[in-house]
Amino acid sequence: MTAATTDARVERSPDSALGPLEAHARHIRRLIVRLAATPAGCHLGGSLSLVEILVALLGCVMTLRPEDPHWERRDHLILSKGHAAAGLYAALSEFGFFDPEELVQRYNAEGSPFTGHVNARVPGVDFSTGSLGHGLGLGTGLALGYRLKGLSNRVYVICGDGEMGEGSNWEALQIASHQRLSNLTVIIDRNGGQNDGPTESILSQAALADRLLMFGFDTVEVDGHDLPALLQALEAPPTGTAPRALIARTRKGAGVPLFKGKGPHYAVFSPEQLRRALVSMGETP
Amino acid sequence: MSDTQTGGADLASAPEAWLRENPKLSNRQIFRHALARFADQEPRLVLLEADLGGGGDPFEARHQGRYFNLGICEATMLDMACGMAHVGHVVFAHTFAPFGAMRACEQVRLGMAYPQANVKLVCDYGGVSGAFFGPTHHAIEDLAILRAMPGMTVFSPADGLETLLATRAMIEHDGPVYMRLGRNRVSRLEEPRGDFALGKALCLREGTDVGLIAHGEIGVDVALEAARRLEGQGVSARVVNLHTLKPLDEAAILETAERTRLLVTVEEHNILGGLGGAVCETVCAHGPARRVLRIGIQDRYDPLAGSHESLLLGHGLESTAVAERILGALSRPQ
Repeated sequence: MTAATTDARVERSPDSALGPLEAHARHIRRLIVRLAATPAGCHLGGSLSLVEILVALLGCVMTLRPEDPHWERRDHLILSKGHAAAGLYAALSEFGFFDPEELVQRYNAEGSPFTGHVNARVPGVDFSTGSLGHGLGLGTGLALGYRLKGLSNRVYVICGDGEMGEGSNWEALQIASHQRLSNLTVIIDRNGGQNDGPTESILSQAALADRLLMFGFDTVEVDGHDLPALLQALEAPPTGTAPRALIARTRKGAGVPLFKGKGPHYAVFSPEQLRRALVSMGETP
Repeated sequence: MSDTQTGGADLASAPEAWLRENPKLSNRQIFRHALARFADQEPRLVLLEADLGGGGDPFEARHQGRYFNLGICEATMLDMACGMAHVGHVVFAHTFAPFGAMRACEQVRLGMAYPQANVKLVCDYGGVSGAFFGPTHHAIEDLAILRAMPGMTVFSPADGLETLLATRAMIEHDGPVYMRLGRNRVSRLEEPRGDFALGKALCLREGTDVGLIAHGEIGVDVALEAARRLEGQGVSARVVNLHTLKPLDEAAILETAERTRLLVTVEEHNILGGLGGAVCETVCAHGPARRVLRIGIQDRYDPLAGSHESLLLGHGLESTAVAERILGALSRPQ
């Protein structure tokens, strides 16, 4: 399945024509776009690029109990690119951790836990992130902690491609590989953009898959908007003791045709912009 | 395994006897033995190293499965410590003070202080104890940095017994702790003292003219020796060992201010932001009009090689110099 056909199905079909996971993706996108229309706006492009990755993990791959976020047998998701909080919050609400309307009402609001970078006070979140280059270290520690306890909980860490400029990520990758943490999966949201522009023109992350492979990770590249491909990569049985890495090729602003494939890093939508975005997605404003 | 019981005494139940049987151990060696022994009773305890375990660590020998040398990755060691604490481990991470407090500073802030993680960062090479290794291996700013982090507990023990007791207190305290140690000095205070408790300063000597407040193996040693010299000059000095810089025992500082005419802080740390800063903040905030003389590293780096003692001397961190400064200050109108 190509990214274009996924987009077409997610954007234009009624829910009844979609598979359940695709319907989740559509709901999450609609919510993210609504969060861009709250007073402080949100990191829109990098939230939309994540949607299928979040659906695959939270909706399928991970063992979770939304009604009991601290359940001891749960798997963990760390969104290391914590600026994409809108995407994570929207996905957590879609999968039952809290009410989506509460999220829209309270996102970035006075006294709310729904801060613009990921906040551990939000149900389903273990660590506050947003300063880049910490999630992999935290996740490596979780994975080592579980292994030491003889438990099989799994740990998933999502990093941005721009974020891979942080040296601490490469420290953590070395350690995860050396310690043979096969209970750890790293997903890199390769959306090609960062705060100041295209990643390839600022600090190239070319050959990311080769680099991760050389670091000892069981590495695959996938279309990050192709749910079956993501599921296949995430659910493949471990090969030996290596931790796993997915390079998920994505697009900033994916799923909102208004952006013509170039979603903004950050957006504060006016009511009219919100209306146009929703219309372009085939949604009723 | 004989590492923690080189004689016959048990470190945990008879710490003073154990210390007498091991008179040559430095504070940082005592920490390692203490951690190894206390881990017998605390199965959740793990020790992380970033290639500064030194080899032959008693914890590694005794609890190999709970000892992880992660390689030269101080920053990630601290993020990992937070992750491991999140699933219930009591995590000790060790490195040198400049690397723990400064290279890994943001990991300490976001991985330890902000989530109030049950992580204990233990750093030796505090102050200029790294001496001839040069300023890359000195830490004259660490306490100022760590003290500014909300919710952090900050220890700077004065001798072997205090290091051992602080190690036990850290395990019992659920939350982030920074413990700062020196390098090679062997210190055993002779003064009788009260029980060690987190956040509770210990008065080692009563006096009425000057109040010396100190922490750490250098600060407390220099303060006590200066007090003895002053006594010979007819000056009565109170000495307070403020081993916990955070939470700060403000009552002990204010009591010392009330009972004496001059406050003196003595520490192996920059005079800015450490104990000197803390005492100034306390007396200014609470009102007693008392001058504070700050003895410590004189807000400069030491770029040239020197022994620990010669570097300390260069900053006036030596008892004769301290006593002279105090006599000069007392002779001036307050």
